[in-house]
Amino acid sequence: MRPFCHSGSAALPDDAFIEIHDLHFSRGDRKIFDGLSMCIPRGRITGIMGPSGTGKTTLLKIIGGQVRPDAGQVIVDGKDVCRLSRDELFELRKDIGMLFQSSALFTDLTVYENVAFPLRVHTELPEDSIRDLVLMKLNAVGLRGARDLYPSELSGGMARRVALARAIALDPTLLMYDEPFTGQDPISMGVLVTLIKNLNRALRTTAVVVSHDIHETSSIADKLYIISDGRVIGKGSPEELKQAESAWVQQFMHGSPDGPVPFHYPADDLKFDVLGGSTR
Amino acid sequence: MIALVRALGIRTLDRLASLGDASMMWVIAMFGLPRRGDFALLVRQIYHVGVLSLVIIVLSAFSIGAVIALQFYTQLSRFGAEDAVGLGLALVLLRELGPVVTALLFAGRAGSEITAEIGLMKSTEQLSSMEMMGVDPLHRIVAPRLWAGLLCMPLLAAIFNVVAIYGGSVVAVQWLGSDPGSFWAGMQDAVELWEDVGKGSIKSVVFAVVVTWIAVYQGYDTVPTAEGIGLATTRTVVMSSVMVLALDFLLTLGMYGDFK
Amino acid sequence: MRMRTIEISVGAFVLAGILAVVVLVVKVSGVSLSGSADAHLLKAEFPDVAGLRVRAKVSMAGVTIGRVSQIDVDPEYGVAIVTMEINDRIWPLPQDTGARILTEGLLGARYVALTPGADTEMLKEGDFITDTQGALVLENLIGDFITRLGGS
Repeated sequence: MRPFCHSGSAALPDDAFIEIHDLHFSRGDRKIFDGLSMCIPRGRITGIMGPSGTGKTTLLKIIGGQVRPDAGQVIVDGKDVCRLSRDELFELRKDIGMLFQSSALFTDLTVYENVAFPLRVHTELPEDSIRDLVLMKLNAVGLRGARDLYPSELSGGMARRVALARAIALDPTLLMYDEPFTGQDPISMGVLVTLIKNLNRALRTTAVVVSHDIHETSSIADKLYIISDGRVIGKGSPEELKQAESAWVQQFMHGSPDGPVPFHYPADDLKFDVLGGSTR
Repeated sequence: MIALVRALGIRTLDRLASLGDASMMWVIAMFGLPRRGDFALLVRQIYHVGVLSLVIIVLSAFSIGAVIALQFYTQLSRFGAEDAVGLGLALVLLRELGPVVTALLFAGRAGSEITAEIGLMKSTEQLSSMEMMGVDPLHRIVAPRLWAGLLCMPLLAAIFNVVAIYGGSVVAVQWLGSDPGSFWAGMQDAVELWEDVGKGSIKSVVFAVVVTWIAVYQGYDTVPTAEGIGLATTRTVVMSSVMVLALDFLLTLGMYGDFK
Repeated sequence: MRMRTIEISVGAFVLAGILAVVVLVVKVSGVSLSGSADAHLLKAEFPDVAGLRVRAKVSMAGVTIGRVSQIDVDPEYGVAIVTMEINDRIWPLPQDTGARILTEGLLGARYVALTPGADTEMLKEGDFITDTQGALVLENLIGDFITRLGGS
């Protein structure tokens, strides 16, 4: 019986690609996930949003099997990630492409070698085939001409695009983007958004975008999750969330400076500080 | 008072945990099966760690050899024993200064480079992305550096010794007029293959393992910020130096301790 | 940096390192490349071998002709038994060859000096040299001297 994501709306339930059940994870004393449950539909772009520091990157690492949760289940394409052997995990990673926040290109390799890296690791293809694939992927992101440059010679936006080419080198079924829009100028942003959308349509991948950029993420995501304090506090399509009842979700979606997340860091009343005088 | 003991206890446990972590890292990296392309990685690391250290090693060796020869000659001539300069120089270098000074210079130059490099890779998420692609960073990044260090340092120590002895001979024979015959013959008579060259080489290998291990682990374990990398690099140099000197003391005691 | 240049320099470096080791082994420690297979054993008893070490040189007329390979003690008679390896080149030696333990320079190492005799009979493998004189121990000499001063 195939798992489905029940979206709670009138639309048909989507085929689930990633299911997360009751995830618990702590780092030291801090509880990062406290009973988190999610359902990420196949073939769609799902956005995961929330304030900084809620562990969104950690969530991606848990899905990829890099980090082990304290409790809970993470099922990716029918496989329980935490129970996989080393070899099975290796196989699974062939099908996952991840774009890191800092592009994470290998600084000692050229652009070409960076994109060829996953091909060399996971396949036994001859050099000619690898060459063709690398050039095609670079072409998809528009950087075929930059193939002999080193990462230090690229701009931030270009580096991200190369990282994207590397992430799709093995035609993965799952693409994860960690804060892809952070710190990008409008043109690079536009390029990236277009690429993410087109790739998703062309490759029929499942995409998970972690971000706190509401505008861009809402424009491409089919489904959004909002996480805070280790749990899901809002889920649904962007339009649904914009009209949600929760005041918190409202503040987040509209970017209001004050609301359930207060503007002021806890302190005494202003008049005491200003008129109270010499005690501090 | 209780608080102090507790704090000490926690720190000790932390240190033990670090040591355990570092040991596991070392074992996994050193004893992983070699794969295609590993040799090229090793060669590259030998270049960075060994070849690039040659300049500092050779320059230091020549200076140290010259200085020691000078000092020995001055002192020995008070007893009319200048002929012993050669053998004194050789013994001191082979048994002590060669391995120790090479290790210290190595820690400062190559060790800190390794720490900074790995720390930088960690902070730019290169290690994470490698893992996500199914490549074990312990195998691809850590292991080549460990092996390169293990290989290069004894070789560098040997080069150090040769250059230092040569430097000493230039000072003693050419400059101070010591008899070249007695310089070299005295040296050959007194220096023994196992006692001096052999044991000195063992010291060198031990230092190589320790210094490279510290350098790699500090980089691997660093807090991934610019500040963290700076701290880690300093820690590599300090910890390596202290460990080398402490181990040298223990090894010297163990190897030559039977003072009749 | 091109891979080719890196490979060449690494190769050169490793070669230099190995050469350094060879130099240390051969030139510095004076290990001779000719094997000790062509060495003959001789023994000698000394009342005192103070400071003589294994691997000390055995010389004749100032030329090194062998090495001390073993030093044992005979507890019954309180003498030291020194085993020497003598080079084949000057074998055999006459039976009345003399052996003395001398010091190199003032502070130098002890070594065994052999003086050939005129006997027509030769020493055989493992034979004992009978004409021996022990090492001069400085403290004993000074003690002797002081006693003599006191006596006169």
